[in-house]
Amino acid sequence: MVAQFLGLKLRLLANIFRRSPIQLVGIIIGLVYGLGLAIVAVIGLVGLRFVDTPLAASITVTIGSVVVAAFLLVPLAFGVDDTLDPRAFSLFGVPTTRIAAGLAVAALVGVPALAIAVIAVAQVATWTRNPLATILALLGAVIIVVTCVLGARVSTSIAAFLLATRRAREITGLIALIVIVSLSPLVVALTAVNWQRDGLFVLSGVSDVAAWTPLGAVWSAPAEAASGHVGLALAKFAIAVVFAGALWFAWRALVGWMLVTPQREARTKRYSGLGWFASVPATQTGAIAARSITYWVRDARYHTSLVAIPIAPLIFVVALAVAGVPGSALALIPVPAMSLFLSWAIHNDVSYDHSAIWLHVASNVSGRADRLGRIVPALILGVPLILIGSPISASIYGDPSVLPSMIGVSSSVLLAGLGLSSVISARFPYPAVRPGDSPFAQPQASGTAAGLIQSVAFFAAIILALPALGLAALGLMYGGAWPTLSLLVGVVLGVVFLVLGVTWGGAIFNRRGPELLAFTLRN
Amino acid sequence: MAPPNAQAAGAGTPEGTPASALISPPRRPISLPRLPVNLPRFFTSVPRMLVKKRTAEAPRTEAAVAPATVGGSARENADPGIVLRVTDLVKRFGSTVAVDQVSLSVPAGTIFGIVGPNGAGKTTTLSMVTGLLRPDGGTVAVHGADVWSDPVVAKRNMGVLPDRLRLFDRLTGGQLLYYSGILRGLDAATVRARSHDLAVAFGLEDALGRLVADYSAGMTKKIALASAMIHSPRLLVLDEPFESVDPVSAANVTEILQRYVAAGGTVVLSSHSMDLIQRICDLVAIVVSGRVLAAGTMEDVRGAGSLEERFVELAGGRKTAEGMEWLHSFSD
Repeated sequence: MVAQFLGLKLRLLANIFRRSPIQLVGIIIGLVYGLGLAIVAVIGLVGLRFVDTPLAASITVTIGSVVVAAFLLVPLAFGVDDTLDPRAFSLFGVPTTRIAAGLAVAALVGVPALAIAVIAVAQVATWTRNPLATILALLGAVIIVVTCVLGARVSTSIAAFLLATRRAREITGLIALIVIVSLSPLVVALTAVNWQRDGLFVLSGVSDVAAWTPLGAVWSAPAEAASGHVGLALAKFAIAVVFAGALWFAWRALVGWMLVTPQREARTKRYSGLGWFASVPATQTGAIAARSITYWVRDARYHTSLVAIPIAPLIFVVALAVAGVPGSALALIPVPAMSLFLSWAIHNDVSYDHSAIWLHVASNVSGRADRLGRIVPALILGVPLILIGSPISASIYGDPSVLPSMIGVSSSVLLAGLGLSSVISARFPYPAVRPGDSPFAQPQASGTAAGLIQSVAFFAAIILALPALGLAALGLMYGGAWPTLSLLVGVVLGVVFLVLGVTWGGAIFNRRGPELLAFTLRN
Repeated sequence: MAPPNAQAAGAGTPEGTPASALISPPRRPISLPRLPVNLPRFFTSVPRMLVKKRTAEAPRTEAAVAPATVGGSARENADPGIVLRVTDLVKRFGSTVAVDQVSLSVPAGTIFGIVGPNGAGKTTTLSMVTGLLRPDGGTVAVHGADVWSDPVVAKRNMGVLPDRLRLFDRLTGGQLLYYSGILRGLDAATVRARSHDLAVAFGLEDALGRLVADYSAGMTKKIALASAMIHSPRLLVLDEPFESVDPVSAANVTEILQRYVAAGGTVVLSSHSMDLIQRICDLVAIVVSGRVLAAGTMEDVRGAGSLEERFVELAGGRKTAEGMEWLHSFSD
């Protein structure tokens, strides 16, 4: 049985290489990246052999804990595609324990498992300092691999099973995003630490705590043995063994449960009336605008944009602040940057609809109406953002004369960017996360084209706003009439580019409707 | 197996080209409720019209039906009786020919069924008919307007239910109906009134406030059907309209379609259910490997047996279950 599962997993791995060349390049990059990390870790761990025991312990325990935590949490937050889902084997009538064991062993085949195995073996090199430490490190290597692989199995199945409902998937995606965002101050705080002076202190503080958790105990046990604390070493090793055992029983129980339980049913929410549709004109453009707004409000994929738009400029500002740029100058950044991200957010809007776009093709929706409707949510957010945000920014900057430039540059970026997105989403769609998938799920077959289109959409919007930006820069340097000129040029050019983009994008949409549908069907 | 009566004989196309479908009955007098039982009486009037242009050439397949040149009129596409005329439609995917010169003529006031085994090109054909997939060759005319050169008129006259395409499922059922209606150019009041009627007719009153994403497969099919009808098109093109729909709802849908046809509407549908096609369709085409192997009135195509028997025969016959004796000795 175990042999069959192993064979199946190997077959699945081999089949990865039978895909398109672009995907293959991505997979190879992933392989090189994963194994490269492992090799760096191996070099580090072997190097630690020649370092004092307390320092080596702090480093291995801290990094080891992070690695184990990653194995436990990453599948939960990002929803890994589980090809060996236990439920796939429910109809074969194999005893639960054998399925659980077979799948657990099969999980040992794969890049992450290989990487952790290499690291686990390498930490033996760090701790061959006395007999007990060597034995604990050797046994620990096995425990590390078992803990990581089983942990990933359990959390993958939980993600696939308990978080299977649409709402649960979307919520976990958002939670993951918020966690990442809230970690960024921590990262900033860590960069603020004077590592040369306090580094060791911080590190040993973290590792002292982590060493008593199941995440770090296994890494810490040989270190304690090397320092001569036999009792502590055995206690920590026991924690690690118990945790690995608990993971096995959790996995066994989860498999048993999954085999006999159907998909979780979602509770459905009821809405009344037509919502946004009731408050827009009953035209094609109006209906598409209402549909877009409804999606921005209801669809988790748009939520990630909504969360990222204010956050991304802030992270940028924080980074510049850490680098020593004065606060008043930083006040000029957020509003134009948010306008840029807002207009950029819809550059792949057609792909977000996936094959539902057939309705527009079959109804012969005019390309102009389609393009206009899709930019309405961005305008609803963007125009107030500019009108309210610009005065606030100008007052923080401390010079009201920058206000016209501020509005000019921001509107130029927003409007021209929306025009650009209107063209790009009709002409160069690339695979996006499908409706209902987790916002972090990797779209199948996203290749280098996606990255190229994203960058072009981003930087071309900046280039289109260069006239307004240049005039605003002159305004900052010389004052006078330059800011007013920046406002005029920015708004006029923005409107011109928007009209051009909508018209051109609309013509492309009219011409390529069936091709757009065929594109979405390929993904 | 000879055609049972004269109306199905004859093929005017040269050797090698597939037979095209042709049946052009006059508009059926409206009678509510129309039952399939009426059909034989009705079609007795057809042969006299068709005999006119029949050529002497032998049909390529026995069930082939003469091409559509009723009355020798030069204005083929403008023929008021023909709502959908598909001519020599071709679609290739790489080296495979998915649809190979399919020709169909669908007269007004009929339900036209397309049956075929899995992968026969039914969905591909219907996608090209509805303007969702660009054909490699051939023309599609809806009520005289070419779908690919005059899409505005052609698409206005068509209601579409595609198979296996997504809906805007983050909208509630009510919003999706409204959206479809407005995109089709209706005014708000009309859409609201029709949404209500459609919801009642399809038994979706309680579901209009829920997201389509949370619907069951059958309910999704029904809301999509309702969306296809909301602009009262002349022609409904429905791909697998009865798939995963429960029997009660299927009976409802059938009745809705039959009343629509009785009022002069036209339905083209595909299905795997031979019984259902045989029961509700006036005309039928059997498509295998992208070619029309038989087309005509239900009576002509099925001959003496059932449609299912005729279909299995044309689709290559059933594989006999020899060598499967082990299946009859059960393992424990």
